[in-house]
Amino acid sequence: MLDQIWFPLYLTFWIALVSSLLVLCSGVIIAYIFARRDFRGKKLAEVLITLPLVLPPTVIGYLLILLMGKNGFIGHMIYNVLGTGIMFTWQAAVIAAYTVSLPLMVRTTQAAIEAVDKELEYAAYILGRSEIETALVITLPLAKRGILAGLVLSFARSIGEFGATLMLAGNIQGKTNTMSISIYNAFQSGNDELAKVLVLILILMSLLAITLTGRFIGKLEA
Amino acid sequence: MRNLGVKVDIKKSYNKAEINGKKSTKKAFMLDINFEMENELVVLFGPSGSGKTTLFKCISGIIEPDNGIIVVGSNVYCDKDKKINIPIQKRNLGYVFQNDTLFPHMNVRKNIECGLKSLEKENRETRFMEVLDLLHIEELETRYPAQLSGGQKQRVALARALAPKPEILLLDEPFSALDTEIRTKLAKKIKTLQNKIRIPLLFITHNLEEAFLLASKILVLHGGKAQQFGTPEEIFYNPQNRHVAEIFGVSNIFDDAYVKEQDEESRSTILKSGSMQITVKYLNCRVRDEVCWGIHPENITLLSPESGFEDQNENLYLASINSIINKGPKKRITLKLVKHNKILNVEVPAQFIDPLKLHANDSCLVKLEMSKVVAFYCF
Repeated sequence: MLDQIWFPLYLTFWIALVSSLLVLCSGVIIAYIFARRDFRGKKLAEVLITLPLVLPPTVIGYLLILLMGKNGFIGHMIYNVLGTGIMFTWQAAVIAAYTVSLPLMVRTTQAAIEAVDKELEYAAYILGRSEIETALVITLPLAKRGILAGLVLSFARSIGEFGATLMLAGNIQGKTNTMSISIYNAFQSGNDELAKVLVLILILMSLLAITLTGRFIGKLEA
Repeated sequence: MRNLGVKVDIKKSYNKAEINGKKSTKKAFMLDINFEMENELVVLFGPSGSGKTTLFKCISGIIEPDNGIIVVGSNVYCDKDKKINIPIQKRNLGYVFQNDTLFPHMNVRKNIECGLKSLEKENRETRFMEVLDLLHIEELETRYPAQLSGGQKQRVALARALAPKPEILLLDEPFSALDTEIRTKLAKKIKTLQNKIRIPLLFITHNLEEAFLLASKILVLHGGKAQQFGTPEEIFYNPQNRHVAEIFGVSNIFDDAYVKEQDEESRSTILKSGSMQITVKYLNCRVRDEVCWGIHPENITLLSPESGFEDQNENLYLASINSIINKGPKKRITLKLVKHNKILNVEVPAQFIDPLKLHANDSCLVKLEMSKVVAFYCF
């Protein structure tokens, strides 16, 4: 039983960690561009990034299969480079988690960056600081709380991810059975004990995430 | 090398929809400004919305003008004909914003050091100490902006702006949030500072006293256009148009006058304004031209009715008092020129007016000093 808990827990954390790191790096850049730049198609880009927030996860999973499968645009390129597909691996689960949690990061961070007074940035430019320097030294530090809140939300969303993961990474014992999927498996196979333990662990983790987010967002508004 | 000072000649127009890139209730706006200055302190003076801050944003590079040139010293910041528009970072200028723009997460030292990165490493500390000393803020070095008073914040902001040794300094109503006392103190500080650092300094204010205290020249703006450029006294006593006169507080303006006679000998011009005749300083215009005349409420002299009779050749008129409003050390009196049906607002120190023991409906004599009366073409 311990092994049946330990592997999904480790896998879920690993996937959430990798996904959150990717979300942090790309999300902050995307949010900064959305907040501070005007370009053609910006509205469309914003909608596309936000879409996973409202689409059913199975639909996202299906669309990702179209994109990542052996015949998909990206999947084909990966196959050509690695000689193997990415479907039904933990990496596929990371892609699923990344897609569904990115909008949370972008939205929260974008709002936090937009709340930073633009005149502070101009003041830094006038003092000779470049835009990148200003973003790193002035804008992002001042949007810190929003970024952290977005990160916690994204991490929590990654941990709870089920639908898209199931579609893209499948349900392979010892390979892609995350916590959520293991709960489903345990329940299906009548292993109620295991299901209860896994559920309890997930509830505790979610409570922790909410407490952390609440604190960051509370500070943000203060 | 000859110092070239500053030359600005720019145009920038905004459509109704373009302002801030969002739907705006503001009207379309056109900035059209042309002036040149030396290493002096020029005050930009005008009502809000007249384009003062927009001009600063063009000079600093935050906004790109539609066409024209901006030259500071030997550096061309912008020349649209030659497709030159140097990025903000490469323009060597100091800018103190109207709102507090100290970086809230950095202490005073870090804030100032932000502008020192372009200096050689070994010179940074010396320059840092120099600006602390210049603004007398040595004791604030480790404080954060939230721990500073309004006056201290603006001194730190000035120090930060001066740290990179800018070749021009732009100050956008830096003291508007401060008490009158600190305000005057800091304005004097700016004046001495300008004498020390000897760079062109542009200062936005809409406080007339501050403008007079600071300016070697005033550039009057209205509706995005430069209305007049000159020394404070020049503009105050010779406004070129109604906008300038009004901005300088001339609230008694009459637009029903024409030139009756030019007296070359005594360098004066006689105007006829309705039934009234008034002599003003020599005005460069032709007989029968339509003009406006006016007088600042504080430049009108009231005399007791016993002291004489109406004498239009001496700008002396009989008046009756409509109302007297007590404004503490001053009194605001509204009176009517009896024979000419004209209303004048007068502001006089109480100590000069109290001995006359005037009340509403009393009559008195009004003296409009020729040198204090302003006259100009209406538009």
